[in-house]
Amino acid sequence: MNNNPLFAVAAVYDNPDKIISAVTKIANSGYRKFDVNTPYPLHGMDGAMKLKSSKLGFITLFFGLMGAATALLLAWWTLSVDYPLIIGGKPFFALPAFIPVTFELTVLLATVSTVICMLTFFFRFPANSYPIHDTQYMKDVSGDKFGVYVEAADSRFDLTELTILFNETGAVRIDQIYLPAKEVYPLFQPKFLWFLFSVFVITSIITYFSLNKLMYMEPFDWMADQQKQSVQKMSAFYSDEFGMRTPVKGTVARGFIPYKYLGQAVPADTMKNPLPPTSSVLELGKKKFLTFCSPCHGNFADGDSRLRGQFVNPPSLHTNRARTMTDGFIYHIITNGQNAMPSYSSQVTREERWSIINYLRVLQKAKNASDADLKMAKKESVSDGK
Amino acid sequence: MDNKENIALDYRYELPVVEGNLKKSDIDDLIAAPLEKKANKNFYISLALSGTALLIGVVCIAITLFNGIGVWGNNQPVGWAFDIVNFVFWVGIGHAGTLISAILFLFRQRWRTGIARFAEAMTIFAVMCAALFPVLHTGRPWLAGYLFPYPNQNGLWINFNSPLVWDVFAVSTYFTVSLVFWYIGLIPDFASLRDRTLSKTKKIIYSILSLGWRHSHRQWQHYEKAYMLLAGFATPLVLSVHTIVSFDFAVSVLPGWHTTIFPPYFVAGAIFSGFAMVVTVLLFVRKIFHLEQIITLNHLEKMNKVILATGMMVGYAYAMEFFMAWYSGVPTEQFVFINRAFGPYAWAYWIMISCNVLFPQLFWFKKIRRSTTAMLVIVILVNVGMWFERFVIIVTSLHRDFLPSSWGMYSPTLIDFGILLGSFGLFFTLVILFTKSMPAVSMSEVKAVTEGAQPQHHGVSDHE
Amino acid sequence: MENNLLRYSNKALPKRINAAGFILMISGFSFGIIAYFYDAQRALQNYLIMYLFLISIGVGSLFLIALEYIVNAEWSVPIRRIIEFLASLIPYLIVLALPLLIKLNIIFEWTHIAVVRDDKVLFDKSPYLNITFFVVRAVVFLLIWNLFYWLITRNSLKQDTSGDQALTKRNIKLSAVFIPCFAITITFTAIDWLMSLEPHWFSTIFGIYFFSGTIVAALSAVTLIVVLLKENNYLHPKIIDDHLYSLGALLFGFVNFWGYIAFAQYLLIWYADVPEENFWFMHRWQNGWWIVSLLLIITHFVVPYIVLLSQPAKMDHKKLKFSAALLLCAHILDLFWIVMPSSQNSSFSISWIDFVFPVAGIGIVILAFSYKAKRENLLPVGDPKLERGLNFHL
Repeated sequence: MNNNPLFAVAAVYDNPDKIISAVTKIANSGYRKFDVNTPYPLHGMDGAMKLKSSKLGFITLFFGLMGAATALLLAWWTLSVDYPLIIGGKPFFALPAFIPVTFELTVLLATVSTVICMLTFFFRFPANSYPIHDTQYMKDVSGDKFGVYVEAADSRFDLTELTILFNETGAVRIDQIYLPAKEVYPLFQPKFLWFLFSVFVITSIITYFSLNKLMYMEPFDWMADQQKQSVQKMSAFYSDEFGMRTPVKGTVARGFIPYKYLGQAVPADTMKNPLPPTSSVLELGKKKFLTFCSPCHGNFADGDSRLRGQFVNPPSLHTNRARTMTDGFIYHIITNGQNAMPSYSSQVTREERWSIINYLRVLQKAKNASDADLKMAKKESVSDGK
Repeated sequence: MDNKENIALDYRYELPVVEGNLKKSDIDDLIAAPLEKKANKNFYISLALSGTALLIGVVCIAITLFNGIGVWGNNQPVGWAFDIVNFVFWVGIGHAGTLISAILFLFRQRWRTGIARFAEAMTIFAVMCAALFPVLHTGRPWLAGYLFPYPNQNGLWINFNSPLVWDVFAVSTYFTVSLVFWYIGLIPDFASLRDRTLSKTKKIIYSILSLGWRHSHRQWQHYEKAYMLLAGFATPLVLSVHTIVSFDFAVSVLPGWHTTIFPPYFVAGAIFSGFAMVVTVLLFVRKIFHLEQIITLNHLEKMNKVILATGMMVGYAYAMEFFMAWYSGVPTEQFVFINRAFGPYAWAYWIMISCNVLFPQLFWFKKIRRSTTAMLVIVILVNVGMWFERFVIIVTSLHRDFLPSSWGMYSPTLIDFGILLGSFGLFFTLVILFTKSMPAVSMSEVKAVTEGAQPQHHGVSDHE
Repeated sequence: MENNLLRYSNKALPKRINAAGFILMISGFSFGIIAYFYDAQRALQNYLIMYLFLISIGVGSLFLIALEYIVNAEWSVPIRRIIEFLASLIPYLIVLALPLLIKLNIIFEWTHIAVVRDDKVLFDKSPYLNITFFVVRAVVFLLIWNLFYWLITRNSLKQDTSGDQALTKRNIKLSAVFIPCFAITITFTAIDWLMSLEPHWFSTIFGIYFFSGTIVAALSAVTLIVVLLKENNYLHPKIIDDHLYSLGALLFGFVNFWGYIAFAQYLLIWYADVPEENFWFMHRWQNGWWIVSLLLIITHFVVPYIVLLSQPAKMDHKKLKFSAALLLCAHILDLFWIVMPSSQNSSFSISWIDFVFPVAGIGIVILAFSYKAKRENLLPVGDPKLERGLNFHL
C-alpha cells in the first residue's frame, strides 16, 4: 500500500457517451475539483463539466491591439519624427505603406502571446510532476480511453459515493492516485550553480569573440577592406606613391570657393558678415560653436576649455581685443587658423562660420551688457510677452 | 480498393475520414511506428541522397560567401534572378501547410487531420529554404540584424515604406506563427508518445517537449479556443505573406510587375504550388509508412481538386494580365507581354502555361484524380511550372524594359544551380528527419475523427 | 420526419410583403421615369447602380449555390432554397438590361464616335469597346447565367419529388462548369459596365474586386432573409444558430476578402502613382468625394468587421441583421462610388434621384423572392444531404 496521501480517485471509461454521462453526474452532485482526461477533446464536454467559456480571446484581442499600436507608433516615430526621409514622394506618415507591417505585428503579438499566456498562466506549464503523470491512468487516457478523476481535496469528496457513481456509469477500471513523495528541488546545489556559471562564461566569450574578433576577420570584414584609395594611405598607382593628390593647377574642386586671404597672418582687408543675426542663424551658430569651438574656447567662450592641460588653453573671447575684432577678421582666423588654432575650414562651412561669429557676438554682448542693453532686453521680453 | 471506387457516392452519408475501421489504438501504433522501429535501408539511402544535395548547396553557399554574389549570374539589367525566384518558389510551397491546417480547419474540413501535421512541417522547412535566398542575396548575411528596427549605433532606422522590409516582417512572422501552430499541435502527441514509450531517454525528451500535458479537458477547452484563434490569425496571415511577396514586384512601375492582380494571383499560385508539393511528398510518405488508411485516396482527390481550382485561378490571372496589357493601351505594357510569350524566354513562358494551366486540366477526370501515378506526374509538373512562373515574372520583366539600349539577357551560373539543388537537399533532409523523429500525422486529431470517437448526443450545447 | 419536413416546406409569405415590394418597385420606377426627364445622365447612372446591385444578388446567389454543390457542403442545404429564390432575379435581368443597352451613349464616353476618333487610347480600344460587341457580350453573359440558373434550379426542384441522388451529382458537375464561366462573365461584366465608364483606366484586379462585392451583397441578402424568416418561424426548427454561425463566419470572411482586394488595388496604384491609373482614385478623393471613400471603408469593412469579429456575434440575430443590412447598403454605396465620379468634372453631391432606384431594386428583390416563396418548397425536401444539414452542429 502507498503511504503517501491520496490525491484523487479516478475512473477509466472506453466510450465517449458513458464518460459524458458520468461527468454530468459528477458536476451535478456539486464536485468542483475534478478533471476529465481524454486523448482528444470531446464535443459537449464543456457543458457536461459546466465550464465557463474560455477567456483566451480577450488576451488575443489585447495583444493584437498592442501589436498594431506598436507597429504604427514605431513607423511614425522612426520615419516621421526621429529620422524623417522623403520616400517616393509620399508623406512622412504614409499610412497605406505602414499597413502591411502593422498587420504582421498584430498577428505576431496576438498569436505568440496567446500561446504563451495559455501555456504559462492557464496551464502553469511546464508541469512534469503532476500527480497523475506516470500512472496507468495517464497511459490509458493518452491512448484510447477516457478518464475522470475527483481530487481528495474537494470539500464534498467521498470515496465510497464516488466508487458507486463510477461503477454505475460503467467505468472499466477505478484507480486511486497518490501524491508523489515530496521532492527537494536541487536548485542551489553546487553542481547546478557551476552549470549556470559555465553557461555565463561561455556565452560571454562567444559574444565577445564574435562581436570583437570575428567581424574583423576575412571575409566578414570585407566591407572595411575595399578596393579603393583610403585617406593617408600609399598608392601603388602613382609614381610618387602619394595616395592623396593635390588638385591639378588652375582647377577648383566642385562646390569650393577659394579663400582669398589664405596664409596671411593679418590680412589687409577682410570680408563682411553676410548673415543677419536671425534666430535660425543664431541657432545654427550655437550648434556649431558648441560642437567645434567649445572644446577649447569653453561653452561661453571664456577660454575655460575641457582640454585638461593636454593642449594650450586659448584666451577668453570676452577681452576688449576680441570684442573689437571685425567679423571678417574672426572669419579669417577660423578659416586660416591662428597660433595654435588650426584651420577649421574643412569642418565648418562658410555659412556656419558666419553663424558662429553671430553667435559669438551674442555671447560677448551677454557678458558685457550695459544698463541700456538690459533695459532694452527687458522691454523686448515684456513686449514679446504681450 | 478498385471495387469501392465504382460504387456511386451516397450523399446521405459523409465519407469516412479514416478508412478500414481502424481502432484508436491501431492509429497510435501506425503513426508512432516510424519513431519506434529502427530505420531501414531506404531511410539511409534517401537521407544520403538529400544530404548530398544539401552538401553541394553548402559548398556553393560557401563559395558565394567567400567571393561575393558576383559568382551568380545576376547582372544588369537582371539584378534579381535565381535568388528571388527560389525565394518566391519556396515561400509559395510553404503556403499549403498553413492553408491546410488553418483555413481547412475554419471550414471544418475533417479530412485535413491526416495531412495537416505533415503539411505544417513542410511549411516550416520551406520557409527556412526561402529565407536562405534573400539573406544570401544581401551579400553579408551576418549583418542581417540591420533588417530589424532596433536603435543601432548608426542612428538609422529601417524604411517601413519598403516592400522588402514588409517581407522581413511577413516572413519572420509567418515562420514564427507556423512554428507555434505546429508545436501547439504536437504537444498532445508528445504526451501520448511519452506515455507509450519504453525507452528512458525518449521519455525524458518527450516529457520536456510535452511540457507536462495531461490531456485534461480543462486544458483542452482553452487549447481548442487557442487553436481556433491561431487558425483565425493564420488564415489572413498566409494571404498576407504572399501578398507582400507580390508587393515586392507590384509596387514598382516596371511593366509586367506593376499590375494590381498580383496579390490574389500570387496567393492562388502559392496554394497551387504548395498543394502540389504536399501531394508529391505525401504520395511517398503514405506508401512508405503504410498510412493509406489515414491519408486516403479521397483526401488526395480533394487535394487534386484544390490544385485544379487554383490552377484555373492562376490561368485566369495570366489571361487577365494579357488582356489588360492590351486594354491598357500602354505600349511598354503591351510589349512586355508579347516579349514574354514570343521573346527569347518564350520557352520558359510556355513551360509555365502548359505545366500550370494545361496539365492540371486533366484533373477534371475522376480516374486521373484518383490514380497515384498520374497525379504524381502532374503535381511534379506543377512544381516545375510554378518555378518557371516566378522565373518568367522576374527575368523576362527585367531583361527588357523601357529602354532598349539597356536590354540584356540572363543566364545562371553553376553556383546558382548548386544553391537551388542545395535548397531541395535541405528541404528533403529536414522532411526525412522529421518523419523519423516526430509523429508525421496528428494522433490526437485523427483519433478524434474516427467512427464513434465522439458522443452520439450532445448532452449540453457547447455554446451558451 | 417526412411530415415534419412538409410542415416547413411550403410557406407563403404574408400578402403585405408582396404588396410592399410592389409599391416599392412601382413608386421607384415612376419616380425614376420623372428623374430621367429631369436629369437623364444621373438617372441612368443610378439605374446602372440598381442593375448591378441586382446582378450582384442574383448571380452572386447562383454562385453560392454552385459553391455549395462543389464543396459538398451540408450546412447550407436547408437554406439553399432561400438562395435559389434570390437567384430567381436572373431571368428579370434580361428585361432590366434593355433601358441601359438602348441608352448606352448617355453614360459611356466611348460610345461617342467623335471622342474615340480623337483619342488614341480609346481608338486602340475600340475593337473591344464598341456598341455591337458590348451588346453581344451583355446578351451572351445573360444567356449563360440564365442557362445555368435554369438547369441547376430545375434539378433541385425535380429532386423535391423524386429524391434522386443522380440529380445532386448532375448539379455538382453543372456547378463545376458554372464556376469558371461565372469567373469570366462577372469579370467582364465588371469591366464592361463599371471599368469602361472611365475608359482610360485599367486595373487587372477589378474583376475580382467586383466579385468580392458581389459575394458580400449576395451573402448579406441571404443572411438577412434567413434571420428574418427564422425569427418569424418560417424555417425548420432544426435550422439553428450553428447554421447562422456558418453564414456569419462566411460573411465575415468575405468582408475581409473585400477589404483585402480593395486595399491591394488601392495600395498598388497609390504606391506606384503612375498617371495612367492614379487618376481613378483621385476622381474618388477630390471634389468632396473623399467623404464617400471614407464612408465606404467604414461601412463596407470597419463596422462589419468589428461587429462580426467575436465568435458569439456570428450567431447573434441582431448583429447579423445589422451587418447584413449595412453591407447591402454598403454595396450600393460601393457601386455609387465607382459609377458617379466617372462623369466629367463631377463633384460630390446627393440628389433625390440617388434614392429612387435602390428603392425600386429592393422592391424587385422582394417581389421575385415572394413570387418564388409562394410556389416552391422552402426546404429542398428531396435533397439527400438535407438530413445531415438539419443535424448540423459546429
